Amino acid sequence: MNKRILTRSPRNLLFLFQALGIILLLIYKGKEVDRLTVGTAVGLVLVIYLSNYILTRITRGDHYIFLITTMLVSIGIIMIYRIDEALGIKQLIWISIGIFIFFSTYFIIKKIRIWENLTYFYLVGAYLLFIITFVFGDRRHGAINWINIGQFSFQPAEIIKILLVFILSSYYSNKDRWKDIKYASYYLMGIVYSFILLLFLQKDLGTALVFYAIFLAIQFIYEEDRKLILLNIGLFLIFGLLGYTLFDHVKIRFQSWLNPWKYIERQGYQITQSLFAIAEGGFFGKGLGLGHPDFIPVVYTDFIFSAICEEMGIFTGIGIIMLFMIFVYRGFKIAISQGNKFYRILALGISILFGVQSFIILGGVIKMIPLTGLTLPFVSYGGSSILSSFIALGILQICSEEIKTKEDLDEARD
Amino acid sequence: MKQEIRRIILVLAGLCLVFISLIVYISYFQVFKATAIKNNSYNKRLWINEESILRGSFLDRNGQTLVYSEKKDSGYERHYLFGRLYSHIIGYSYREYGKAGLELQYNNQLLNSSENAAINELKNLVSPTTEGNDIKLTIDHDLQAKARNLLKGKKGSIIAMNPINGEVYAMVSLPDFDVNSLKEDWKNITENPDSPLVNRATQGLYAPGSVFKVITTAAFLEDEDLDTSYQCTGTANVGGYEFSDYNKKAHGSLDLKGALAESCNTYFTTKSIEVGKETIGDTAEKFMINNIIPFDLPVKNSQFPYKGALDKTELASASIGQGKVLVTPLNMAMVASGIANGGHIVKPVLVKEILSKEGKVLKTNTTEILSIATDPIKANMIKEMMVETVNSGTGTKARIKNVKVAGKTGTAETASGKSHAWFIGFAPADDPKVAVAVVLEEDDSTGGSSAAPIARDIMLHVINNIKE
Repeated sequence: MNKRILTRSPRNLLFLFQALGIILLLIYKGKEVDRLTVGTAVGLVLVIYLSNYILTRITRGDHYIFLITTMLVSIGIIMIYRIDEALGIKQLIWISIGIFIFFSTYFIIKKIRIWENLTYFYLVGAYLLFIITFVFGDRRHGAINWINIGQFSFQPAEIIKILLVFILSSYYSNKDRWKDIKYASYYLMGIVYSFILLLFLQKDLGTALVFYAIFLAIQFIYEEDRKLILLNIGLFLIFGLLGYTLFDHVKIRFQSWLNPWKYIERQGYQITQSLFAIAEGGFFGKGLGLGHPDFIPVVYTDFIFSAICEEMGIFTGIGIIMLFMIFVYRGFKIAISQGNKFYRILALGISILFGVQSFIILGGVIKMIPLTGLTLPFVSYGGSSILSSFIALGILQICSEEIKTKEDLDEARD
Repeated sequence: MKQEIRRIILVLAGLCLVFISLIVYISYFQVFKATAIKNNSYNKRLWINEESILRGSFLDRNGQTLVYSEKKDSGYERHYLFGRLYSHIIGYSYREYGKAGLELQYNNQLLNSSENAAINELKNLVSPTTEGNDIKLTIDHDLQAKARNLLKGKKGSIIAMNPINGEVYAMVSLPDFDVNSLKEDWKNITENPDSPLVNRATQGLYAPGSVFKVITTAAFLEDEDLDTSYQCTGTANVGGYEFSDYNKKAHGSLDLKGALAESCNTYFTTKSIEVGKETIGDTAEKFMINNIIPFDLPVKNSQFPYKGALDKTELASASIGQGKVLVTPLNMAMVASGIANGGHIVKPVLVKEILSKEGKVLKTNTTEILSIATDPIKANMIKEMMVETVNSGTGTKARIKNVKVAGKTGTAETASGKSHAWFIGFAPADDPKVAVAVVLEEDDSTGGSSAAPIARDIMLHVINNIKE
């Protein structure tokens, strides 16, 4: 009887995982089990269990993407709480807000049916956000990509990412709208490149790469003018080489990837600390609370994966990689089953966004590719990252449902 | 429409591939790279455990303390009592410069911690470790000091070991450095063209010159059809290259024994062609050339690349220890030990015992035979030839009164024009107590004149002073 309840739904397995993680956390805390920890733990379990439950009631679309997300969120928050309790509580608040925003996004996108026509609105929005970043921007970890509002700070690029997906979707889903404009696809490419250039100027190389990858993939699938794709790849290589020769910060990243040990005191410090952590963890990890993830700089955000590998082992690390892979797979499945082209491209864009972003930061912290600072979606600490990821997830959730087009609705009314 | 789906699946496949490559890479990293990275001295985790543990001491074979740690207010302070004498054996352990030598190789034992993190954690829960284990070396401190004095002012290496059980009594490599003033001298040490950080005994690859003839002799004995008689005229042409003896001296009529005693180059170069590279190469490998030598310190492999293209001249050069042959001094000490020990080559040992702070023996190193280089009858024949070398040949300066000494000298030509002086040997020949290898790097003297007397003093000291 018990066994059946536990394994009947993945929701319960997730609960089991959280329970184990929290028990470990309590053991690590030892005698000083405080109300705070217990409160946070109960909060986490409740928020995630309930939201998974509610989701199954309100939508007949895909339930797995949210499940995968909550699993990632759980691993992330257990790790963050273990490193720094105050941040863990903050993260729980962000996650709760994030889940709320996820549901809000879901309903807003569902009710309003004009999203495919707002291309210019997205464009203006994106440029405005860029301007705001440059005017009010704050320098952090060498990149100007934060703005402060009161005591909160957020990264406009997180929102622009989603706007980019909307721009691409609204453009490619209805090519007829643009047939009067000659070379419309070239203009689009120019616009995306202007985004990438602006990100480059903010020294946010990771996000620039994500933008490029989303654009290239969507272009590869939908662009009729195939020459343009080759041009896109060619231009990227040229700009990449140019960036490498002109900008020191690009060169430094590349060199500290090739041989971080040579620059271990300076630019290679972060990556080598990350490698120490992963190496120490082995396959099974040192155990929660038994490692030293605090030795890694910016461990809560960019390097959360290394901390997880140190204490939970690379088996958990591989688990995270596979969760992202399954997430991307579900996203693509959603896209393929979606009849409405706009929502199909939207689903693709968001899946590629998560896939590429997680790959770039995971590959970076394990030194498979040069390191560029990015958050690991849903796992890393950070308000704007969590919120924008949940917005994107809400959109993907909508895409997993059957969308009635305007025409369908009109027909139904007749 | 169909094309769209095809392209979507292509992109999905690409993304999946990228994720799988992550999994493959991180697994590869964990299996092949992680161990080396973990032990990098910049890994602060290594030090955090150490700061609460009294690191173990080093003792010589007689129990004399060489290195110890002491508790101070600011933590533990490590004292190296003989800063230079053990710079290549014990090495050092500093936060800034990491670890070297036995301090590195036996780090876990010195801290009494396991390599397995989980076991450590469990152990710490039950009873936290506060004291590490002591390490007792096979080194005899007096002999080590004497060996260094004998080598003083020169470059090179001396090794003295027990040929029967492999215990190393002394191992010196010069130039060395002072472990105590590492901080002040670091720049000088690392930039010195004579590389004082390198342990020449295990890491130095030298042309062996005529000491290699011991191996060639063993190979000649393997070939029963070989006509061992020879008429030496002082020069011999092999494969278009003229080999000559020292000072072009003609040795006249020789057998193998006389050839080794007189170190006749033309004899060995001529006969090596008849025996062939396979027999010589196989024999060399039985003497651990080209093979990994397991030891408490990292050892470079000696080289004799006979399996590739090796023409007659190159083979002839190799037979007298020139050309493509390169050896470590430790390997040559093991060659001498092998002959002394009836053809059995034993594993060299530097750490005799690991002791707990209470003095309980936790681990003892046992004798292990690495290779059977030749049979006892042939070993005995080679020994007699080496005795002849010391009694009346090139090695007379290694003679000890009332003790039968076996040895072989070598003078290896180098690219710089300055030759290495070599001596390998053992004594007493009929009941071997000690085997030695001495190499004086670019000393521009003959092994018989400069290396042999040093070896003699070392052997004499062991016979008179070291009890097993």
